[in-house]
Amino acid sequence: MAEVKTAKFKKASSQAVSDPKLQNTLEHVMGHFIEARAGAIEEFGDESWDQMRERASSIKKHALENLDYYLDLIDRTIQKNGGHVHFAKDTQEANRIVLDIAKKAEAKRVIKSKSMVSEEMGLNKALEKAGIEPVETDLGEYIIQLADEPPFHIIAPAMHKTKQEVSELFQDWLRTAPTQDIKQLCIIARDALREKFSTADIGVSGANFVVAETGTVVLVTNEGNGRMTTSTPKIHIAVSGIEKVLPAIEDVGLFLRLLPRSATGQRITSYNTFVSGPKFSTDEDGPEEFHLIMVDNGRLNLMRDPEFREALKCIRCGACLNTCPIYRKVGGHSYGWVYPGPIGAVITPVLTNIKQSKDLPYASTLCGACRDVCPVKIDIPKLLLKLRHMAVEGDSSQRSVSWIERLMIGQWRKTVSTRSSIERATNLARFLQVVVTKKGIIRNLPLPLISGWTKSRDFPALAPKSFAQLWQEKFSEETDG
Amino acid sequence: MVEKETKTDKSDFLQLVREAIGRKTPLLYAPDYPPLKSNYTRQQEKVRTITAKNLARKSKILDQLIENASFAGWNVHRVSDHESAAEKIGEIAASVKAKLAVRTTETILKSVNVDGALRSKKVTPVVLASGRYRSKSDLKEVAFKADLGISGVSFAIAETASCVLIPRKGVARLTSLAPPVFVAIVQADQVLENLDDYFAMVRLQFQKTRGRYPNYTNFVSGPSRTADIEQTLTIGVHGPGIVHMVLVG
Amino acid sequence: MCVTCLVDQFFPEVGIATVNSLRKAGVDVDFPSDQTCCGQIAFNGGFQSEAKKIAERFLDIFEGESYVVVPSGSCASMIKVYYLELFQDDPVLLERAQKLSERTHELSEFLVNVAGHQNIDASYHAKVTYHDACHLLRELGISDEPRELMKSVEGLELSEMQDSDRCCGFGGLFSVKYPEISKAILEEKLRNIESSGADILVANDCGCLMHIRGAMSRQGMKQEAMHIAQLLSPDADRS
Repeated sequence: MAEVKTAKFKKASSQAVSDPKLQNTLEHVMGHFIEARAGAIEEFGDESWDQMRERASSIKKHALENLDYYLDLIDRTIQKNGGHVHFAKDTQEANRIVLDIAKKAEAKRVIKSKSMVSEEMGLNKALEKAGIEPVETDLGEYIIQLADEPPFHIIAPAMHKTKQEVSELFQDWLRTAPTQDIKQLCIIARDALREKFSTADIGVSGANFVVAETGTVVLVTNEGNGRMTTSTPKIHIAVSGIEKVLPAIEDVGLFLRLLPRSATGQRITSYNTFVSGPKFSTDEDGPEEFHLIMVDNGRLNLMRDPEFREALKCIRCGACLNTCPIYRKVGGHSYGWVYPGPIGAVITPVLTNIKQSKDLPYASTLCGACRDVCPVKIDIPKLLLKLRHMAVEGDSSQRSVSWIERLMIGQWRKTVSTRSSIERATNLARFLQVVVTKKGIIRNLPLPLISGWTKSRDFPALAPKSFAQLWQEKFSEETDG
Repeated sequence: MVEKETKTDKSDFLQLVREAIGRKTPLLYAPDYPPLKSNYTRQQEKVRTITAKNLARKSKILDQLIENASFAGWNVHRVSDHESAAEKIGEIAASVKAKLAVRTTETILKSVNVDGALRSKKVTPVVLASGRYRSKSDLKEVAFKADLGISGVSFAIAETASCVLIPRKGVARLTSLAPPVFVAIVQADQVLENLDDYFAMVRLQFQKTRGRYPNYTNFVSGPSRTADIEQTLTIGVHGPGIVHMVLVG
Repeated sequence: MCVTCLVDQFFPEVGIATVNSLRKAGVDVDFPSDQTCCGQIAFNGGFQSEAKKIAERFLDIFEGESYVVVPSGSCASMIKVYYLELFQDDPVLLERAQKLSERTHELSEFLVNVAGHQNIDASYHAKVTYHDACHLLRELGISDEPRELMKSVEGLELSEMQDSDRCCGFGGLFSVKYPEISKAILEEKLRNIESSGADILVANDCGCLMHIRGAMSRQGMKQEAMHIAQLLSPDADRS
C-alpha cells in the first residue's frame, strides 16, 4: 500500500500555509474550479440539480446495500463477455494479481491512465520492483510521476506545479529544451508518450463506474490517454474500488451529468469509454485480454457501519476539495495519503489507521460547504464528527484525544453545569485578565493549547459584567414590575 | 519467490461483503430495482416511444446538437447530401495539409466518396484494418503516422454533443484517436436527444442480443483536452485536437 | 431567550441589543437566569457524553411552551439540529429535544418569520457587508432573513462582499488546534471585507464575530464587526 503519512498533517499543513507560491496556486486553481462548477450546474436550476443528487445518492445506497449481488453479477457478465474478474482484499493482493498477469504475458512496460485505486496500491512501485516499467499517461499523473510525488488533487494531480517546474522536469527527464509555452509542454508529453503507447504490453486503467447489469467499466477522461490505454496494449487491466458499482446501464446517464459538472465544471468530458470485455475476434484493434480487479482495501470497514457506509457513495469528483476552506489553504499533500480534502479526512482514517490519522477529522471548521456540493449528498461534517467522537469515546484502537484536552473539557463541563460556578470562574478570570488586557482586548494569551490563537488575533476580554448580571440590573425589574 | 500464494476466492469475498452489509446469506432473488426489472417487451415499448419523440422533435434536436457541439469545440458542418459531405471532407483535409488519412468502412462511407475527395486534394486514403498489415504494431504505426482520421458514428447525442463510436470489423479504435484531426460523419437520423435515450437503446440491444453487446464503446464529445498544467485549457493531448462533425441531412 | 455563553461573558451588549430588538417587535422577552452554554464546543470536539450532560441541562432550563430565540447561528444549529443527533438513542430525551428544536429560532429568522417584523423601525447610517455564518447558512438555511432585516434599516447600505458564504476559519476548536490554517482562511475573509468597501462587518454569530474582530483589531483595520441585533435596536444609531 502507498505510504501513509497522515501523522504528519500538522507539520505538513503549517508548511503549506506558509508557502506563498503554493497559496497563490491554490487560490487561482480552486477559484477556477468553483466558478466552472457553478456555471455548469446553472442550466438545471437549484431544485432539479438537488433532485439529481438525491437520485444519485439513493442509487448508490441501493447498490451498496446489495453489493454482494451486484459484484457477483459483474463477475458473471464480464466472464460471459470474455473477460476476467478478480477480487482483492487488500492492495498487496491487488498488486499480486497485476504482477501475475504481467509475468504470464512477459510484460516489460505498463501504461496507466489515471487511477486513484492504483495510487492506494502503490502499483508503480510494485511494478518497478518486479522490473516492469510503469508509465503514467494522464498529463498530470505523468508530471508527478517524473517528480516522484503523490497526486495533489483527485482530478488535478499536478495542479501545484508551475509550467516552469514542468519544463524543468521535462528537461531533466526527456532532454527537451526549456519552454514556458503550455501547449508546447503538452506536445512534448504527447510525443514522449506516443512511443510508450505503441510499445506497452499492458494498459492499466481505473474505473469511474462499473455497471453490474452489462458488466461495463465506465471511464471519464479528457485527454485521450484513457482510450489509448484501453486500445493499444494487448492486455487491459481495470482496477476499481468495490464501491464503484452502479446497478443498471440506464443509471449511467444521471452520473455522467453529475460527475463532470461537479469535477471540472464540464457538461461532459471529451471522452467516455465503456469497456465490457476484450476485443471481439473480428475487431480491428484492441486488447485481447481484459481483467477487472475489484479491490476492498478497508472499504468493508466503512460498509460495516451504516453511517460510514455513506462515504462509499463518493464518486471522486473532488468538488468537496475545491470548496473546502481548509483544503484551499493546506493543499493535497498535507493530508498524507491518496485522498485529500474533506472526503479524505473521512475515509483515510478508516481505510488506513484511525489513530495515526487522528488529526484529519479535526482539520475542519465543520462549515458544511462540502456537503452542499457533494453530487451524492454525503454528509461529510457528520462523519467527521463521528470520527471525533470515536477519538474521545471509542475503543482503544480509536481513542487518541490527549488527557489534557479531556481534563479541560471535563473542567469546562463542571463550570458550565451551574450558574454559580460559571460566575465564580469568570469573576476569577475577570480579576486575572487585568494583567493581559489592554482596552478590552487580549493580545497574547499565554495559556496551553490556545496561545496560537493570539499570535494573529486579539482575544476579547471578558466583559466587566456578564449579560446575566446586566439582565438582573436592567431588565428583570421591568418585567417583574 | 513463492509462486502459489493464496488468492481470494470469489465466494469468500462475497461472504465478507455480505457480512459487512449485515446479511448472512445471498439474496434469493434479484434486488427490487426498477431499472433492472423492465423486460424486453417493455423496453422495446420504451425505445419506440423515444424514437417517436425524437422523430417529432427532429429539427429541434438537430439545432441543439449543432449548438452544443459548437460550444464543445466541434467544427460543425451541416451538408444536405453525400456529395457535399465528401467535398467538405476534402476541404478539411486540404486545410490541415494532410498527406495520409485513415478511415473506417461503415455504410455511410460507401455512400460518401471520401477516397475520391481526398485523392483530388492529393491526400492518400487508407482503411485502417488489421488484415492489411503483418502485425498489430503496423496498424498502430499507420494510425500514428496519419494526419487525419475519418469515421462514421453509431449515434450522436445532442445533449452532450457526443459521437458514439463502436469499433468492429472495419472500424478500428485508433482511427478516431491517433491522428491529430478527426472527422465524424453524422447522419441526421442517428441523432438522439439525450443520454437517457441512448442508454435505453443500449439496454434494449443488450437484451435483444442476450448480452452479446459490443465490448467497447466511446463517446467523443469534443477535442482532446487537458488543464493539468496551471489549469490552463489546452487542446490536443493524446487524442485529436481538431474535431469536425459533418452532419448530413 | 438564550443569549449563548459568548454573548453572556464577552459581548453582553449583543444580548442587550437582542432584547431591545425583540421587544421592539412586540415580543415578551424572558431570560432564564440559570442558562450557561448549549454544549456545542464539547460536541464538536467529539465529547458527546459531556455535551449530553450540558444539553440535558439545557432541556430542563428551556422546558415549556415559549419560543427560544438565539442570537447565534451555530448555537441555534446545535439546539435545533445536533441535539436530535445527540439524543437519537434515547426516545424520552429525543422527544423533548424535538419539541425544543421546533420552538427554537435564530434571532433574524424569528424576527422575520415568526414575529412578522420585516420592516423594522430602525435607522443606522453606515455601509455594511454581511458574512454568512456557516451553521446559520448551511444547517438552518438562513440567508435571506438577515438581509431583509438589514435592508429595512433606514440609512443602512448593504454592500455584499465576494464569497460571503465562505467560512471565516473559526470553527471553534479548529481555530485553537490549527491557528495557522485558521489565520490563512481568515485573511481571505478580511480581504473580501476590505474590498466590499463597507465600514461594518455584520454577522449573526458571535463566534465568527469574535474571530474576525480579533484579527481586525490586531491588524489595525478601521472596520468594525457587529452583530445584526446591534443594528436593529432603537438606540443603535450613533451617527
